[in-house]
Amino acid sequence: MNWQRELEELRRRERMAQAMGGPDKVKRQHDGGRLTVRERIAKLIDPGSFHEVGAIAGRATYDAANELEHLTPSNCVFGRAMIDGRPVVVVGDDFTVRGGSADATIREKPLMAEMMAAEFRLPIIRIIEGSGGGGSVKTIETTGRANLPGGVGTALGFHYTGANLATVPVVALGLGSVAGLGAARLAASHYSVMTKTSAMFVAGPPVVARIGQDLGKQELGGPDIQTKSGAVDEAVESEEEAFACARRFLSYLPSSVYGLPPKIESDDDPQRRDESLMEAIPRDRRKVYKMRPIIEALVDRGSFFEIGRMFGRSIITGLARLDGLPVAVMAGDPYFYGGAWTADACQEVVRFVDLAQTFHLPMVYLLDCPGFLIGLEAERAATIRHGVRAMTAINQTTIPWCTIIVRNSFGVAGAVHQPAGRLALRYAWLSAYWGSLPLEGGIEAAYRADIDAAPDPEKKLAEIEERLNKLRSPFRTAETFWVEEIIDPRDTRPLLCEFARLAAPVLTPGPSTFAMRP
Amino acid sequence: MFSKDTPMAQTKVLSELNAMVWKIEVAAGQRVAAGDTLIVLEAMKMEIPVTAPRAGVISAILITEKQMVAEGETLAVLDSSVADLS
Repeated sequence: MNWQRELEELRRRERMAQAMGGPDKVKRQHDGGRLTVRERIAKLIDPGSFHEVGAIAGRATYDAANELEHLTPSNCVFGRAMIDGRPVVVVGDDFTVRGGSADATIREKPLMAEMMAAEFRLPIIRIIEGSGGGGSVKTIETTGRANLPGGVGTALGFHYTGANLATVPVVALGLGSVAGLGAARLAASHYSVMTKTSAMFVAGPPVVARIGQDLGKQELGGPDIQTKSGAVDEAVESEEEAFACARRFLSYLPSSVYGLPPKIESDDDPQRRDESLMEAIPRDRRKVYKMRPIIEALVDRGSFFEIGRMFGRSIITGLARLDGLPVAVMAGDPYFYGGAWTADACQEVVRFVDLAQTFHLPMVYLLDCPGFLIGLEAERAATIRHGVRAMTAINQTTIPWCTIIVRNSFGVAGAVHQPAGRLALRYAWLSAYWGSLPLEGGIEAAYRADIDAAPDPEKKLAEIEERLNKLRSPFRTAETFWVEEIIDPRDTRPLLCEFARLAAPVLTPGPSTFAMRP
Repeated sequence: MFSKDTPMAQTKVLSELNAMVWKIEVAAGQRVAAGDTLIVLEAMKMEIPVTAPRAGVISAILITEKQMVAEGETLAVLDSSVADLS
C-alpha cells in the first residue's frame, strides 16, 4: 500500500554504491597505504555531516527480467558537509572504480560540485587521485570517438576551475598518483597538499618514457619536485595530516569573498612583549638569523600556519592571528640569498598577495630584503619582470597593510614593501638599515672618478664608505620623516594587534578585481 | 668507501641555494652534533651556515673554499651510523 518496496530498492542501490569498486579494489587501495574516498571524506569533515548528492549514479547491469543485478557507482563522490561547523562542498575521486578515470565519472558530477560551491558560496575541497575524472586512451573505445578537450559540453568545468578561485576558498588534496586533468584540478587551487608518497604530473612515467625520460613516479612528480616547483604548496606524511591542513587553512578564511575572516577568542595577551626580540637580529650585517621564531613571537601563540615553505624560499608566507583576528603574514628569510627576491619568490608574493586581497586578510610584512637577486642566473629567470609583477600586485591591493622593517630595505625590491599610492602603517626596528643601493659595489659605481684620481684608490674607497656610513643612520631618515617611526622591537606585537583591530572594521566584503600586470 | 651494510646512515648535506663556499668549519673524520655548523656559504654578501641535520661523523667534504656551488649540490656526507656519540 505504501512505498516501502521502492524505499528498499533505493537503500539496496545505495548499499551497492557504498561498496565502491568492490572488496578487491578496496583491499588494493588499503594495501597501498591509502584510504578510500569515503573514508577520506569521513576523516576530513565534522563527524556524520556528509550529505551526498548523486549517491546512486553509476552503471547498472540488469537481468533478463530487467531486475537490477549490480550497480557500480560513479567514481566521483560529492556532497555537502560541515568543517568546524561551517558548510562546505567536498568532491572526491574514487580510485577503486576504474582508477578514477573519466569513463566511470559521469562528468556532470564534479561539475555540479563546483557549481554548488559557486552558487551557495561555499568553500570546496577537492580530493584528487588518478586522472581526476580525465580520460584514458580506453575512453576512445568506450565512447567510440575522440574527445575534443574543451569541446561542446566539456568546457564548463574549466570555467569553474578558475572562476571559483575568485569567489570561494578552493583546497585541493593530491592523495596517490595524480595526472592530467587531476593535476590541473590540484594546481588550480588556493592551497594544495600532497602526501609524501604521492606524485603529481601532467603525464605519468609510461608517457614520459616515450620522450626518452626513464623516471619513476616520485622522480618525476614526487613531493620534492612539486613543492620546490611551487605546483603544490605542501607535502605531508599522512592523509590525516592533509585533512588537518585543509581544515586549518579554511579556519582563517571566510566561506566566500562575500564574508569576512572569522575572529576567534585569543588567550594570548595582545600587550605581550617578547624579550627575545631585542637580540633577534645580529649586529654583524653579514650574519643571518631565523625569521620564523620572530613571527611566532609576534602573532598569537601557535597561530602561524605557513604555506608553501619549499617554494620561493627567500620569502616566508602564511596565515596567522593577532588578538584572534586572521591576518596574512609575509617575511623575508635571510637564509636564502639574504632575503633577496628571486623570480620564484616574486611569483609566490603575487599568489599570496592575491589570496589575502581576495579573502580580505590584512597584511603584515616583516621586511628584510637586500633587493632582487642579482647575477646572470637571476637575469635569465626574468627576475625583474616577476619583480614588477609582484610590485604591481601589491599596489593593486586594497587590504589594510602594515610593514615592520626588520633589517634591510634596498633597491626596487626593498621599495615594494607596502602598497604605493595609499597609506599603510610602517615601523622600523632599531636594526633597520636601508638605501637605494648597498654600499658595497655601489660606491665604486658612483664615485668611480674620485677613486681613480686618488693616489691610493683603496684608501679613498674606505674613506668614502666611512663618510657615507655615518650619514645612513636610520635616525637621520626619521628626522626627515622619510620613515614614520623607529620602535623598540618588543613593542611590535602590541602595535600589530592594534593594527589588526584598526583593520577589522574597514575590511570590505565582495569580489576583488585586478588590472593587467607587467 | 661507505660501509655497504649501513647505506641509510649516510646523510648527504646539500646546498639549499646557489652560493660560494666561504668557510669549511669541519674536517673529514670529525664528530659533530646535530645543529653544528659544518660549512658557511656566502650569497648576496651574507654568511649562511649549513648545519648538521643529525649527529654523526663527517665521512667526506666534497667542496673547497671559494668554490661556487649550485642549489641541490652535495657539500658533505655525514655518517650517522656511529652509535656512541657522547
